[in-house]
Amino acid sequence: MTFHFKGCNDQHQTSLSNFSLKVILAFGVLLGLAGCGSPETNVEEGNRTGVLHWGNGTEPQSLDPHIATGVPEHHIIMALMEGLMHKDSDTLGPTPGVAESWTVSDDGRVYTFKLRDNARWSNGDEHNAHDFVWSWWRALQPALGNLYAYMYFPILNAREYYRGDITDFSKVGVKALDDLTLQVTLNNPTPYFLQLLDHYSMYPVHKGTVEKFGAPDERGTRWTYAGNLVGNGPFKLATWEINRAIEVERNTFYWGNDDVKLNKIIFYPTENLTTEERMFRAGQLHYTNEVPIDKVETYRAANDPALKLTPYLGTYYYRINVNEPHLQDKRVRRALGMTIDRQQITEHVTKAGQLPAYAMTPPNTRGYYPPVGLSFDPEGARQLLAEAGYPNGEGFPTTEILYNTNEGHRKVAVAIQQMWREHLNIDVKLLNQEWKVYLDSESNGDYQISRAGWIGDYVDPNNFLDMFICNGGNNRTGWCNEEYDRLVLDVAPRAKTHDARMAIFTQAEQMLMDDMPVLPIYTYTTKHLVHPSVKNLSENILDQQSYRELYLEGSQD
Amino acid sequence: MIPNDTHIQSDKGTSLWEDAWIKLRKNRLALIGLSLLIFLCIMSLLTPWIAPYGYEEQDLLMGATPPSAQHWLGTDIFGRDMLTRIMWGGRVSLMVGFIATAVALAIGVIYGAVAGYVGGRVDAAMMRLVDILYALPFMIFIILLMVVFGRNLLLLFFAIGAVEWLTMARIVRGQVMSLRKQEFVEAAHSLGLSQWIIIRRHIIPNTLGPVIVYTTLTIPSVMLLEAFLSFLGLGIQPPQSSWGLLINYGVETMEEYPWLLIFPGIALSLTLFALNFLGDGLRDALDPRTSKD
Repeated sequence: MTFHFKGCNDQHQTSLSNFSLKVILAFGVLLGLAGCGSPETNVEEGNRTGVLHWGNGTEPQSLDPHIATGVPEHHIIMALMEGLMHKDSDTLGPTPGVAESWTVSDDGRVYTFKLRDNARWSNGDEHNAHDFVWSWWRALQPALGNLYAYMYFPILNAREYYRGDITDFSKVGVKALDDLTLQVTLNNPTPYFLQLLDHYSMYPVHKGTVEKFGAPDERGTRWTYAGNLVGNGPFKLATWEINRAIEVERNTFYWGNDDVKLNKIIFYPTENLTTEERMFRAGQLHYTNEVPIDKVETYRAANDPALKLTPYLGTYYYRINVNEPHLQDKRVRRALGMTIDRQQITEHVTKAGQLPAYAMTPPNTRGYYPPVGLSFDPEGARQLLAEAGYPNGEGFPTTEILYNTNEGHRKVAVAIQQMWREHLNIDVKLLNQEWKVYLDSESNGDYQISRAGWIGDYVDPNNFLDMFICNGGNNRTGWCNEEYDRLVLDVAPRAKTHDARMAIFTQAEQMLMDDMPVLPIYTYTTKHLVHPSVKNLSENILDQQSYRELYLEGSQD
Repeated sequence: MIPNDTHIQSDKGTSLWEDAWIKLRKNRLALIGLSLLIFLCIMSLLTPWIAPYGYEEQDLLMGATPPSAQHWLGTDIFGRDMLTRIMWGGRVSLMVGFIATAVALAIGVIYGAVAGYVGGRVDAAMMRLVDILYALPFMIFIILLMVVFGRNLLLLFFAIGAVEWLTMARIVRGQVMSLRKQEFVEAAHSLGLSQWIIIRRHIIPNTLGPVIVYTTLTIPSVMLLEAFLSFLGLGIQPPQSSWGLLINYGVETMEEYPWLLIFPGIALSLTLFALNFLGDGLRDALDPRTSKD
């Protein structure tokens, strides 16, 4: 024991506090993980052997790309699988993935993809166009409960098939012309279609593996477990220890394996931000998922280059369950929305350059600026609440805010709880749940008000608006407006010009903000601590890293 | 309470409790502990009337400030007065400490005394039950209770008490087994006293020493357990707080705002010291074997 701590201390010139932290960490948090057990830290060893230690925030709900909906899942799935397209990590424009090249018909409705002939699954199986047809068929099975099914709706007849209006999948606009040619027919020219193909909900899954562990449309089968999962991405799943770590290692069958520089990535589900930050300081992580609110200032004051703050195409908001009796009245919802002082929250609670949000879509999403739907107006809010039958908050039932366990979410909730208490005189309780439980509660409508965040899957206002269609998998508020659906699903895609399309979105967003099933709070900023040895890290508004391109450089040389 | 004639070893005509009080008064540390505890309890009882601010009153513009004339113990990141929050937190912490420990004490002492005294197969069966409950992760047990009965503060206290009695039962059982063979118990038997009276008058008072020491150790551990459960969303929820939670939050920002950790830490440590001194004093005072000097 003495020896190894000595070893630790010799290698880096750590200050006393860092050293004692390391001792605590070595014994406590990371017992059993490769911590100070060897004289090197994770980061040093990783730099030498090409292993990236990645803070992933939380344990993923599922690694099935047709079931997952969260950002933590996304980070891991991106390493294991890939779609027809990739995004350029700087410009976010489409670059070839499984598809080597593609052509678009003159009317913009028919895409023909030429797949690469050296694409393989991670077990060495042939990977071809039929995999995509089968996978997309699977993703549209209603029994699978794919919350992202609406991502397929631009494809001809996909919506009709999903709803059960037609039962013949061959009518859906996806065909394998031959083994390496995939043709996709759309309802309308869709400017963001190529971006969609890089989203995990449209990734292919390995038919043989899925069927080996259950029916294609069965949820939660064992096919995603370590040892079972077969993917087509640059890495393959090596081990999955619940609440400990997920390890992915180089997939030698990957078509671009020669260009992949990392040998392994280890994802750590560290829900506690304080712990994560300490792990980073102790050299256990290359990259943290977040930075604790109060540490941002410390790093900023020290001008520490490890701190990376970047604008993020995402909205932090509260969902309101419109099926709750006292939240059915839109005046009540508006009153709640009007008494959140967003300026104070971004300046004094979240404190990392977030922008107050007064609409669902972040400003300047592909040139779109949302209409301003509400303002901070306690006086008007009290009036609305009185009109709804609760003068001065009297008789208003105790309302619960649900959030997933995280210090940052708790702080925002505590501030809002008090704002509502102060301005509306209503009693608000907080309830926190672990990520998976929280996602279930939200999907099942088992909540009153819940914390939510929506991060862009692609850069287009459509991504922030089409989730609120009736019964949309990511709607989860129970809100439903036929006219809104018509605008977003039917009218906007047919718009002739970009401006006309944006005008329709403005109209739709106006309707959404008028009914207010969601209370936008702020536009996200990503906060990461990144070790200087991590190279080729890109800063884009989707916060998407391409693991194929990342590499590590020994910090000592 | 206990008639003089049964107090075999005493010839002065004072009861065990009177003896104990006389001895305790001579122990200065124990008296300091006692007065401190009484002081804390009174403060907690009076908190709603004497707290300088509301525990939920925020001032986001002010944010976290170090101790000042307006806020003696500073404010937290929401600009809430720390003194007020520590006072309110003390109510929860002391309550969970006393209620949960009392529950654990009641179950543990009775269970252990019966098992130890009856012995044989009954003892074996009762202790196997304790072993099984030991093997059960207590968290699962508490979470199950909270899920079935809903989130209720009082229930939480009982639930914690209901999992903390196991060690107590074992300690008491061990003591009782060794006491049961002693001469004075045999003598009580031969005088024809009923089993229950023997347990109550002779056995339990003789086990008080270790029980009290263990009790003073249980109180802080249940206070911290409460903080842990609250952190998981099963205990008390913001804006309410307890010492354990305040410390938990304080740790997050201990480098930036140390006073958020130091003051609740002092409050908890003071209570623990007071309990330990008092416990020590009580053990000496209540041990019947030291009563003749």
